[in-house]
Amino acid sequence: MRLVRSLALVAGLGLTVISLAGVPALAQKRGGTLVQITQPEPPTLGSYVSTANPVGQVASKIYDGLLEYDFDLKPLPSLAESWTVSEDGKTVTFKLRQGVKFHDGKPFTSADVQFTFMEVLKKVHPRGINTFAEVTAVETPDPQTAIFRLNRPAPYMMAALSGYESPILPKHVFSQGDIRTHQNANSPVGTGPFKFVEWRRGEFVRLDRNADYWKPGLPYLDRIVVRFIGDTGTRAAALEKGEAHIAGFGAVPYNDVKKLEKLPNIQIVTKGYEMLSPVVELMFNTKKAPFDNAKVRQAISYAIDRKFVIDNIWFGFGKPTNGPISSNFAPTGLYSADVTNYNVPDGVERANKLLDEAGFPRKADGIRFEITHDITPYGEEWRRFGEYTQQALARIGIKANLRYEDVATWLKRIYTDYDYDVSSNHLFNLADPVLGVHRAFHSRFIRPGTVFVNGVRWSSPRTDELMDRATIEPDAKKRAELYAEVQKIVVAEAPLAWTHEISFATVLDKRYRDVIVSPLGLFSSFDRAWRE
Amino acid sequence: MSTSFWIRFLGNPRVLLGLIWLGLVVIGALAAPLIAPVDPFAITGKPFVRPMDGFLFGTDSLGRSVWAGLVHGARTTLLIAVIATLVAVAFGGMLGALSGFYGGLVDNLLMRITEFFQTIPSFIFAILLVAVLSPSATSVVVAIATVSWPPIARIVRAEVMSLRSREFIQAAVTLGERDFVILFRQILPNALSPLIVTGSLLVATAILTESALSFLGLGAPNFMSWGFMIGAGRSFLRDAWWLVAIPGIAILLTVLSINLVGEGLNDALNPRLRTP
Repeated sequence: MRLVRSLALVAGLGLTVISLAGVPALAQKRGGTLVQITQPEPPTLGSYVSTANPVGQVASKIYDGLLEYDFDLKPLPSLAESWTVSEDGKTVTFKLRQGVKFHDGKPFTSADVQFTFMEVLKKVHPRGINTFAEVTAVETPDPQTAIFRLNRPAPYMMAALSGYESPILPKHVFSQGDIRTHQNANSPVGTGPFKFVEWRRGEFVRLDRNADYWKPGLPYLDRIVVRFIGDTGTRAAALEKGEAHIAGFGAVPYNDVKKLEKLPNIQIVTKGYEMLSPVVELMFNTKKAPFDNAKVRQAISYAIDRKFVIDNIWFGFGKPTNGPISSNFAPTGLYSADVTNYNVPDGVERANKLLDEAGFPRKADGIRFEITHDITPYGEEWRRFGEYTQQALARIGIKANLRYEDVATWLKRIYTDYDYDVSSNHLFNLADPVLGVHRAFHSRFIRPGTVFVNGVRWSSPRTDELMDRATIEPDAKKRAELYAEVQKIVVAEAPLAWTHEISFATVLDKRYRDVIVSPLGLFSSFDRAWRE
Repeated sequence: MSTSFWIRFLGNPRVLLGLIWLGLVVIGALAAPLIAPVDPFAITGKPFVRPMDGFLFGTDSLGRSVWAGLVHGARTTLLIAVIATLVAVAFGGMLGALSGFYGGLVDNLLMRITEFFQTIPSFIFAILLVAVLSPSATSVVVAIATVSWPPIARIVRAEVMSLRSREFIQAAVTLGERDFVILFRQILPNALSPLIVTGSLLVATAILTESALSFLGLGAPNFMSWGFMIGAGRSFLRDAWWLVAIPGIAILLTVLSINLVGEGLNDALNPRLRTP
């Protein structure tokens, strides 16, 4: 095998990372309990079968991945000490760390990696099915080497190897029985810094320090208690009083976050969501008149005052945008700002002009045409966003009637029946555009019945081709060029109107340090977190 | 209605208070386009403006006038409550009348159906109906009417049964009057008093149900309503009390007024409380 070029092959990098944690002048201390609020209570702790947000918040402390990531989304060693990608991109070789033990004392080997990817993630993980589709085999020439054989290059795969996205499971535990309903889902065994102790339903999950953790001296904390508190006000009060120490992902509503921010014992952290990067979009049914006309779609995009939406609906926790790829990808070069800018002061005038051109003049009552806007049934922000959209459309002569349904009905309407005019949603960009962005407007993702994909049913041969090339393009610079063109085309065509990136806010007790140290934030292991 | 009824009814100070407030609400609802000539969903100012600071009752989190919401909300709330009550009274009254008049198998069948509806917790049933029918003004009316008619049917049935055996009805039967004529011309007018009292109280319940549904986000999405205002303002209770307090007080006073008027009607119509 010819291993010509290596992507970040630095054997000593693992050590560097650990010593980096020692850079701050403050001395880390052992001990202490961190109380994390997770909302709602997870349905399972099996993060290999469920990508539901609360599951990841708990399971990421128990399972390690092959890699970790820094805030620029660059991979760092974890269970894999080093890795090489072959010239053709179709072979990825991982050198695994020696002396790593699972929580039950059994050693971690390449057989566990093979089992995890081939038998679990490729088969039952909701996103893994897609992410690892190109992986044909994982070879294990020795216990410390795992060689991934790929059908076609899949550079995006390297961004999906964290303990949250691709948890490494012990083969000796999970190979017996049906993986989908495995009894150990809720008494997980991993290699992570914290061991599962107890789950008292409706109350808490208790995780204790793994004394045999493979990172020397880590973790610092003795215990993590994940509490489930149903009432919004009680959650905010627990943080205010210092009874709980961390909560993220909208567990505390934005207006309460603003209030907690003023307290001396609390800080608000917006970092730690860089590998998720939700972007809010208005969806147009592009197969239905008048939304088959790009001018109508562009007009609506111009009509949305992004600053108003962010300031008054998301309480400042957002960033205006025009395109599908989050600016969190700026460090990797995949984000491009060279697109049509819909966020202009004279947006309403431009919108009115476009609608006139499109052949929809205002009638005597000032209305051009009437549509139904389906409110996203995710809660209050989304409801207000729907009401705002109705008002914004009224300003450009479009009368929007609001419709509000439960999540299941709405999903069916948008992604199965395509029986809608305009709706809104937010898709996570995830760790790579291939994983999080293609699904929104690639023709391959026009799949009735599959949710959170191309519900607008727009695609073009050119953008399809560009995305297909970017999928297998190993060169970062060339990839960036391909995506720059994709963004330019798709923003101009506006099958969706991307309005803003949501910044989730983590409420954190100031006594706890080094908690959010990765782009996965609450989905990371907290191995370096410590209490003053 | 005799003069003595009006004297007894209007002479009751509690009834007068109730009628005054209800009058204000009805005037507000009718004159909404004149006294607040904007779409209540329109963003007309800065968010979270305090009451009396350019806006009579301030603005909500999007900068919508609470005053406009209140008067337009009165329209929605009253309209839905009154229509739902009329539907419930018509349907329940019809079923009760048939049941009481014919008795026997018809009575048995209709009352078992009524019991079926009575055994389902009414608010949960209403939520279910709105969720299934998808929220709209019509589905809210249907839901409220569906959960409200059984008590009406019961009351009308009891009244009809007791009137059925009176001499004047038997006389009508002997005279060969047809069933429907007897039912509508002879019996129902005499059963009207309890129906009016229950119906008026039902409006209050309907307002509460409509508000609760809207509070939960299941109200008619294109209509401003009091419950919706409270639901939308609830997360800002600590910073903007008026978003919840103002529509909350409106609901409280309106429901209280309807109850006072209903009770006044009951007192005035009750022959046992009649002073000679």
